[in-house]
Amino acid sequence: MKILTYILKRILQSIPLLILVSIISFFIIRLSPVDPLAELRLNPSVSQETLQKETQRLGLDKPIIVQYGKWAKSFVKGDLGITSNGEKVSDKLKERIPNTLLLTTIVIALTWIVGIPLGVAAALKWKTPFDRILTVLTSVGMAIPSFFFAVLLLIMAVKTGWFPIGGLTSSNFLEMSFGGQVWDITHHLILPVTVLFTISLAGLQRQMRANLLDVLDSDYVKFARAKGLSEFDVIYKHALRNAINPMITMLGFEFAGLLSGAALTEYVFQYPGLGRLILEAVMKSDINLVMASLMMGAIMLILGNLIADILLIITDPRIRVKA
Amino acid sequence: MKKAGYVILVLIFIAILAKACIIADTPTPITQEKSQNTATEQIIYPQNQKNITIADVDYLQSQAEIGIYGGSLVASTIGEGPKTFNPFNTKDNISAMMSEVMYDGLLTTHPVTGQPIPKLAKSFSVNGNDYIIHLRHGIKWSDGKPITADDVVFTWQNIIFDGFGNTSTRDSIIIDGKLPTVKKIDDYTVEFKTPQPFAPFIRMLSTSIAPKHIFEPAVKKGKEYFETFLSTNIDPKILVTSGAFKLKEYVPAQRVVFERNPNYYMINKNNQKLPYLDKLVYLIVGDINNEVLKFEGGELDTIGLQGANVARFKELEKHSNFKVYNLGPDTGTMFVSFNLNNRKDKNGKYYVDLKKQRWFQDKNFRQAVDYAIDRKNMVLNIANGLAAPLYTAESLNSIYLNKNLKPYDRNIEKSKDLLKKSGYWWDKKGHLMDKFGNHVEFNLFTNAGNTEREAIGVMVKQDLEDLGMKINFKPIEFNSLVNKLVNTSDWDIVIMGLTGSPLEPNGGKNVWMSNGTLHMFNQRPAGYTKDDRYPWEKELDYLYTQGALATTFEARKKFYDEYQKIVYEEKPFVYIYSPLRITAIRTKFKNVFPTSLGGVTYNIEEIYEAKEPSKGE
Amino acid sequence: MIREIFRQLMKDKFAKIALIVLGIIYFALFFADFIAPYTKDFSDRTMAYVPPSKIFVIDENGKFSKPYTYNYTRSFDNENLRIVYNLDRSQKHYVKFFAKGQPYKFLGIIPASRHLVTTDSDGRLFLLGTDINGRDVFSRLLFGGRISMTIGFLALFVLFPIGLLYGGIAGYFGGIVDTLMMRFAEAIMSIPSFYLLIILASILPAGMTSVQRFILIVVILAMIGWAGFARVVRGMVLSIKNQEFVQAAKSIGASRLRIIVKHILPQTASFVIVAMTLSVPSYILSESGLSFLGLGIQQPDASWGNMLKEAQEYTNIIYRPWLLTPGFLIFIAVLAFNLIGDTIRDVLDPKSKVR
Repeated sequence: MKILTYILKRILQSIPLLILVSIISFFIIRLSPVDPLAELRLNPSVSQETLQKETQRLGLDKPIIVQYGKWAKSFVKGDLGITSNGEKVSDKLKERIPNTLLLTTIVIALTWIVGIPLGVAAALKWKTPFDRILTVLTSVGMAIPSFFFAVLLLIMAVKTGWFPIGGLTSSNFLEMSFGGQVWDITHHLILPVTVLFTISLAGLQRQMRANLLDVLDSDYVKFARAKGLSEFDVIYKHALRNAINPMITMLGFEFAGLLSGAALTEYVFQYPGLGRLILEAVMKSDINLVMASLMMGAIMLILGNLIADILLIITDPRIRVKA
Repeated sequence: MKKAGYVILVLIFIAILAKACIIADTPTPITQEKSQNTATEQIIYPQNQKNITIADVDYLQSQAEIGIYGGSLVASTIGEGPKTFNPFNTKDNISAMMSEVMYDGLLTTHPVTGQPIPKLAKSFSVNGNDYIIHLRHGIKWSDGKPITADDVVFTWQNIIFDGFGNTSTRDSIIIDGKLPTVKKIDDYTVEFKTPQPFAPFIRMLSTSIAPKHIFEPAVKKGKEYFETFLSTNIDPKILVTSGAFKLKEYVPAQRVVFERNPNYYMINKNNQKLPYLDKLVYLIVGDINNEVLKFEGGELDTIGLQGANVARFKELEKHSNFKVYNLGPDTGTMFVSFNLNNRKDKNGKYYVDLKKQRWFQDKNFRQAVDYAIDRKNMVLNIANGLAAPLYTAESLNSIYLNKNLKPYDRNIEKSKDLLKKSGYWWDKKGHLMDKFGNHVEFNLFTNAGNTEREAIGVMVKQDLEDLGMKINFKPIEFNSLVNKLVNTSDWDIVIMGLTGSPLEPNGGKNVWMSNGTLHMFNQRPAGYTKDDRYPWEKELDYLYTQGALATTFEARKKFYDEYQKIVYEEKPFVYIYSPLRITAIRTKFKNVFPTSLGGVTYNIEEIYEAKEPSKGE
Repeated sequence: MIREIFRQLMKDKFAKIALIVLGIIYFALFFADFIAPYTKDFSDRTMAYVPPSKIFVIDENGKFSKPYTYNYTRSFDNENLRIVYNLDRSQKHYVKFFAKGQPYKFLGIIPASRHLVTTDSDGRLFLLGTDINGRDVFSRLLFGGRISMTIGFLALFVLFPIGLLYGGIAGYFGGIVDTLMMRFAEAIMSIPSFYLLIILASILPAGMTSVQRFILIVVILAMIGWAGFARVVRGMVLSIKNQEFVQAAKSIGASRLRIIVKHILPQTASFVIVAMTLSVPSYILSESGLSFLGLGIQQPDASWGNMLKEAQEYTNIIYRPWLLTPGFLIFIAVLAFNLIGDTIRDVLDPKSKVR
């Protein structure tokens, strides 16, 4: 019950936050010198009249506060507006969200499934060759500039012909059987997942290792050991539970990052995710699309933080909810 | 024991290092690699396409070799894919390209001569300002409905003249505030009349024709609805087309797939319906890197090449299944522009500092800059030798190019003489000073993140610093740069590029006419009325107006020759180079006749895929 | 304390190697003017993209000789549409050590012209080839490294203190303070930094050098970037503050700030050190991303980030591998930082010695 009121409170708190974020963002976007019509203006065949018409159509001739009011009104009604090309923002997002979710959930799941145990193992085998090798390996993974890693993998794909060069589906995807389609997508996913996995694994593994090492040396673990609990109980019932604390906050961020996509990797691998869509929208200052993605990001962030806080309360007995 | 191991290891390491350092100087005789196909194959173009009537249907007959049906061609577009499938809403190249595949215009351009030739129209005649178009009898839209004069009149009257979608076509044919008229004479004849003779109009007739039965309901719903009509997330079945292909599938950010239009009006010499290809696929790729990898990996069948990639594929060509075509200079130009703005902004402040105005508005100064630019090395270093130095406003493949304007080399002495003529002098440290004792120092802008332009910037900076100027090179973000150029006008000189048209100089009127939207070297705000044109700007205005009104090619050429000469002398733009257009396509595709104007796949209807992979050809 | 850390580091094999490597890199960067054969802006435009100079010690007669090199000549092969580089064997250029070359100002003050290695004035010694503008990659690596290897830390010094203190206070006080502070942090995290940076780029005075600009931008980035870090710290503090030793400190009557700084925050050291070593590479690399917005280190100035950008073209990776050297150096440096970070973590952990 306490938890429920806590959640309710947090949700109520986030409303003014969202309003604030939307106002700041909207003004920052509109005050920046990014001209949404830049590309049109550089096209010699586009006439003055067309430019004026576009300015009016996109509402750029009105004061920012009026533009914001119009946007906010339709946002509250649940209408995300249309992009500068006349497509519905919600449709555009719907096209990409499943692809991005597919990639990010796989990557996050993989890194956590592999990274946490590896971190625990490294901490338990502290300063053994196993730990040292793992440390060096993860350091190497982290130190490779991700762009190059991606391009090298692509070159490898070209030379060997083992993997498709970017994209998510082959051009004859529609004609495939269901099993063929699943295999096709998996085949396309391997390279981007490898890159993102390598980048995020190192961080997670190291954090986990460091946290567990801290906890293993704390007084209560010593106390538990002194009580004569089995090593298994000490580690898995007491130490791990405490060591996971900062990881949970990070899990919250991971959740927030579910929809933000990895623009760079998507770009290199031509992955049809949200990251590329938003990157393009940002470059062209396509305001409805950018605002939609920002609000989505903010909501995901708030949700992620909320989930993390609740998990913290559940897993860590020392944190109490203050009503 | 352990130590000994280390010592040995270190010794081995040193030995390897020493081995690597001792390189013997053994001169290898330079073997001139002679490639087998020394004689560049002459492309033999097929005869012009003919009209032929079979069972009351006026077909267009291809004169190219008869091919095999089936197969598909995979091409690519760089960027995020089409924004709309409505040919009248297109505001970007990719959407326009997709529309061209699906919707034919009345006329098209001859790929070799550049003359307008009939396409959807059977024939046409021009008489001063009167254009009579004869349509083909019995040809059909992809849904089986006939293509008639009603569609043409509807397209021109109700969509274009009434200002639906992107109105650039309409705006460019308004003469003295009056639009041309369009009239249906009978079901297969249409008459266009321009208020006065207006040569560029003929090119406008290549605009896509819309199926009336599909577009009429949308037009009735008003302009706002029309903007969203046929956006990219529609069901492909709704698209009714007249071109060789119709849309099969659009996968956002991945590809656009077209399939054969069974009702297409073109036939081969055996009177069988074209196109040969079952499918035409455009992969949407984000950047050149990926495009190149995809081509090498075999996922793409054709690709446009630039810079170092050309050498790579030229080398691979010998033992691969593609051929590289060099189509000569492209329409793209790269130039340095000066800000010649002499007006004040709203707050009464000059857009350009007064002392800088005196420099930039001095013709000698601009010419001095021009002579200091080292085009030769820019072409070699930055374009990998794959560009042509440029001196004229019209691109090198333009049919209106003024060939009397001669190229020249870098000449620092001449630059210095020109500067001296205008009273510039050098102080003891070699700094260039103007008459009033100001050190010549200004900002050079370009868009950040573009390796080519940044490298040009570095060289331009060095070149001008050889004259004793001080240049602050500032690459900035692209959109902000455009904003500076056309809105805020707070820049000094800039490195930019524009794409022109090789066929119609009038397409550049927004750049050269003093009230144009892209008259960037002296950008006037919209609706500016005061006449503060430089004398040569007035002349350009006159030449551009007259050039559009003259009707014969020779008469027009005179005006456009003159405009190029003025730009050549006044140097508002200092042109640097035009890249070469180089394209590769797999050899399994036959009936490929690349041209400088049309590229490689302009005759996509005639191209077919040979069944057996032709190796070692 | 520092000496103790150092002693511990030297005891560890990996950390020792890492320290030596970093030492060499920083030493080279400090004496860049002297070590580099050319100055940062020197360019020979007839020699763009030439491969590394070949240095010969055995001459054409098979005899040992003083090391010498040949210049490259460049020509365009019309048939294969490519640029060909040939050795110009007409003249030998001997490699000279500690000889006079291009004049420079050592550390920007002392005028000098001796270089560690150079060749005669019409010879060209490009140890790692040249870039698109015909500039010596080796020399630019040294000058660019000065920026790349220092600026990553700048961000750390801004970001971490703010994040630690903010997270510490929010976590310790809890309740309404925590709520307000965390909502504020969320707001900061939601601001679209792209547009903010573009605005900054447009309002920064034009007279600033790109290095000054970049320092400013990094500081600003750090000022937005602390929020995420602060949240993690706050989560840890929430948990730590209920432990006995904190209660004990409270009962003694220590001030709240003292409790936070002296007792609670040191407990987060492990996390902080790992987070720090994780963020150094991202700041080195983010610089190349920023140059897209006109905010990074811009041409003609050099940095590893912007040199690497040039190498990102696929054909450059294959044909001009020497352009990849900045990437290699980033890799080495980041690796070294990570190994050292790990060891410091183990050393600092007050209890680790007990084991």
